[in-house]
Amino acid sequence: MKKFFGHIWGNAHAALNLTRGSGFADLLLLGGIAGIVFGLFNFSNEWAAPSSENTLIDLSPWALPKYTFFSLSRGIIAYIFSLLFTLLYGYWAAKDKIAQRVLIPLLDILQSLPVLAFLPVVSITLMNLFKNNKIGLELVVIVMIFTGQAWNMTFSFFHSINSIPIEMREAAAVYRLNWWERFKWMELPYSMMGLVWNSMMSMAGGWFFLMVCESFTLNDKPYSLPGIGAYMAAACALDDPHKRHTAQFWAILAMVLMIVLLDQLLWRPVVVWAQKFRVEEGGAQENATSWFLDFLRRSKILALLEKIFSHNEKPTPLTAADALKPIAQALPSSALPDINKLNIVGKTVSTLVFVFFMGGLVWGGVKLLLLLLQVGGKDWMEIGVGALATFARVMAVTVVGTLWALPAGLAIGLSPKLSRILQPVVQVAASFPAPMLYAVVWLVLKPLGLNTVAMVLMLLGTQWYILFNVIAGAMAIPADLKEMSHSFGVTGWQRFWTLYAPACFPYLVTGWVTAAGGAWNASIVSEYLVIGSATPEKAIGLGRKISEVAGVAGQEPILAASVVVMSAMVVLFNRFVWKRLYDLAETRFSLSK
Amino acid sequence: MDRELNLKPETWNLEPETMSNGEVLCEVRGVSHEFTQPNGNPLRVLENINLTVKEHEIIALLGPSGCGKSTILRILAGLIKPTKGEVLYHGDPMPGQNPGAAIVFQGAALYPWMTVTQNIEIVLKAKGLGPSEIAERAPKTIKLVGLAGFEEAYPRELSGGMKQRVGIARALSVNPEILFLDEPFSQIDALTAESLRAEVLDLCGSKDRNPKSVLMVSHDIKEVVFMADRIVVLGANPGVVRTIVEVKLPRPRDYRSPEVLRIVDQLHDIITGSEMPDVPETSAATAAAAAPIAIEPLPDISSSEIVGLLEYLDARGGKEDMYKISADTHTEFGRLLSAVKAAELLEFVDTPKRLVVLEADGQKYVKATMDERKAIWRDQLMKLRIFKEIVELIRRQPNKEVHRDLVLETIVFRMPFENYEKVFDTLVRWGRFGDLLAYEEDSETLWLQQEKP
Repeated sequence: MKKFFGHIWGNAHAALNLTRGSGFADLLLLGGIAGIVFGLFNFSNEWAAPSSENTLIDLSPWALPKYTFFSLSRGIIAYIFSLLFTLLYGYWAAKDKIAQRVLIPLLDILQSLPVLAFLPVVSITLMNLFKNNKIGLELVVIVMIFTGQAWNMTFSFFHSINSIPIEMREAAAVYRLNWWERFKWMELPYSMMGLVWNSMMSMAGGWFFLMVCESFTLNDKPYSLPGIGAYMAAACALDDPHKRHTAQFWAILAMVLMIVLLDQLLWRPVVVWAQKFRVEEGGAQENATSWFLDFLRRSKILALLEKIFSHNEKPTPLTAADALKPIAQALPSSALPDINKLNIVGKTVSTLVFVFFMGGLVWGGVKLLLLLLQVGGKDWMEIGVGALATFARVMAVTVVGTLWALPAGLAIGLSPKLSRILQPVVQVAASFPAPMLYAVVWLVLKPLGLNTVAMVLMLLGTQWYILFNVIAGAMAIPADLKEMSHSFGVTGWQRFWTLYAPACFPYLVTGWVTAAGGAWNASIVSEYLVIGSATPEKAIGLGRKISEVAGVAGQEPILAASVVVMSAMVVLFNRFVWKRLYDLAETRFSLSK
Repeated sequence: MDRELNLKPETWNLEPETMSNGEVLCEVRGVSHEFTQPNGNPLRVLENINLTVKEHEIIALLGPSGCGKSTILRILAGLIKPTKGEVLYHGDPMPGQNPGAAIVFQGAALYPWMTVTQNIEIVLKAKGLGPSEIAERAPKTIKLVGLAGFEEAYPRELSGGMKQRVGIARALSVNPEILFLDEPFSQIDALTAESLRAEVLDLCGSKDRNPKSVLMVSHDIKEVVFMADRIVVLGANPGVVRTIVEVKLPRPRDYRSPEVLRIVDQLHDIITGSEMPDVPETSAATAAAAAPIAIEPLPDISSSEIVGLLEYLDARGGKEDMYKISADTHTEFGRLLSAVKAAELLEFVDTPKRLVVLEADGQKYVKATMDERKAIWRDQLMKLRIFKEIVELIRRQPNKEVHRDLVLETIVFRMPFENYEKVFDTLVRWGRFGDLLAYEEDSETLWLQQEKP
């Protein structure tokens, strides 16, 4: 087997090496660019189409490349929005200590809101703006994908800026870097590693609701936009089981291919590039590599472009006599940028925006309150029961996920060979949108009833977070502790409880927080399943409630109430349980001290 | 200061402020500074500091940790605005940051994602220089500090000394009027530090070019005597200027020359004398009347350091010169002072002049078995008022335990100017060592080890 892969890869490498002299790299690159341009041209045609025309999803597998490209474009556009949002919001929150007190808790709440909660607000605004073509609809989808991506990136950026070492900040002040120079030379590079890892997580998070985002109901009217998500949704709605399964198979295959390609062609190169922003000292770490980045570096066109755009003059060699001459005399004082002045401008802008922002928040809060007042006692009762049921499921999913992922993660993480092979696989698995598999799982587990199966469905998407955190934790256990256990003959359960479990605990907590958050979100799609044209399968729960009322005219108060309850439960649980576990992990189980 | 130094001022080159005739570059007048502690209480770090930096001098701030010497540097650089007092730059109130200052930081503070050249280029760009001037200046400064060949290296590829060289090059590249050095040699190995000290003197020695003056912060007595023209000796908690010593020896200075050794000796005496005055013992009653609330602060020293000191003294026949101990044990002088203070507080040692002498209790302690040691330690602790009070406090509780917050409150009330969290840590460490106090971190409760039901 190994030989087989070595053979294949060996050949592939040889092929790449061949391209060195003959300009194949450039040819392939040009081909790729042409393909992208053609795809974007198609995509923009789609945008300009009149809005009245509802897209019919073509279920032939040949339509999938186009759909995949469309979905990918939406994901990337949403990601660009997420990045811009992250930089603006995170920077603002980090710099303005007063605004921070509102912005960060608000971010906490936004993070806890399920994707469907944003639908009504976003769609009404955007679709009114662009009545004559599909831009409005496209933007709705993009914004919905955005809401699955942005928040954790923003948190990461905010925390990075705040943890810049004090001496580094003082150096920036002493040498009078203005705000823009601080941002591009210090704050952004310092945050880069965290931003890259969180971007990968975010892209994965954005795909999770692709089906919901690309085909949804609004005011009792179904909408769908060409893409893999809509393809899958259409496939699930087919009545003929054979046709249904074929179409589902193609959609899953396309999705897997897209994720693998994205990983290889985008994220790997970015991760390799971002290594230069590592902050910690010591160079003994294993360097990540990317064949695609190596390939790009071989391109002559790119090298040429780089030469044109970077006007980095090589320093002229100095003679010893030159070097000993005194450095040029004092600079004119006008050359000093006046930092204080800029600070005043920045502060004024920040205050103005903040006042507007607070006004908007208060207005929104009042609107929400009025909406909630319309909800009757019976509905509140149902929402409460649903919330408890979903809460129980989320807890069960976290426990079950831990029960299998902890031993599996330890086994993988403790073996260098296994972790090298399986870690990337787990990462890809984690970014696959689990809802695409729901129909298949339901087919097998139908006899158990959706109340039980919903848990399996939720587990399907969230267990990976626990698994790859445990793997990371197991890989980080210091060798001397392992040797100690070994030399004193601490084995089996004893070793697990005295070494592995405590050492992995901080990682496990991170995994739990992400997994539980994901499970709450997943409840929306797993407690309410649409298969074929039959009536949807329903389980008791808050997620089902949200799915049922989203997009139904006149049900907005109930949607608002359900979403508020879900958000409150997530935020409170974060505050009172996860936060404490985090603190415990940091004080007692941290290995870095 | 109400404390008398037990040394005759004539024996030092004590400098009246009028002596130097160079122009004053910058100055602090009557500066006091407080930091806000996490519970909102102020922690006073500087008290009424007056200091001038004149043209063509190397001035050193010398003092134990916690004397606020780095804070003074940051106030002069304009990074921190003092709670009280004036900061002047060429005679006028300083406009925000000091326009003529560049700092070399303790940890170099380089941006790890930039090469040596880029690290220097960015500060020139920030200064508003054009590309051609940057291209000329950056390589020049790199060469100046001996980094030629390392232009394209990233900081993580450099040793500590090399990194600090980049820090120096970066500072010099902006052509500063005053160069601030914030303990720049304390994190690099001794040999490299030696060569860097000489190089800094070479770079700053010329009168006709910048930097005109250097202000350095250090806790190393030999280092400041080797480098400085004026040495400002600071006392801690809160930081005050004890005295200023002028060093008028020609450069290069020789560590072994009698003059240098004499000044090193004098500085030791000043620091020991002011940190541990040999005041006549006052009776407990008058002391209590004079200071109704204040209690002796606990130095931030671990029990094992105190025991180590006792064992060391015992092995040297019961007494030793403080400077000798510092050199023998490779302990920074300020740290040793704290340890000696702690041992004196516990009545294990006495300190006549610069000697540390093992007292009866100390000798008893060294000779004792492990169990006896615990008992002696406990007895000595119970002689301290803070321990008495905490023990009383615990005994008064119905369940015989107190929460950390209550103890912190007591400390804040009794020692308003101390860092209460550090005092608490020391309290717990010393108490645990004597098997007197038990503390559980999870519940944050403290109880008496011997009396808990």
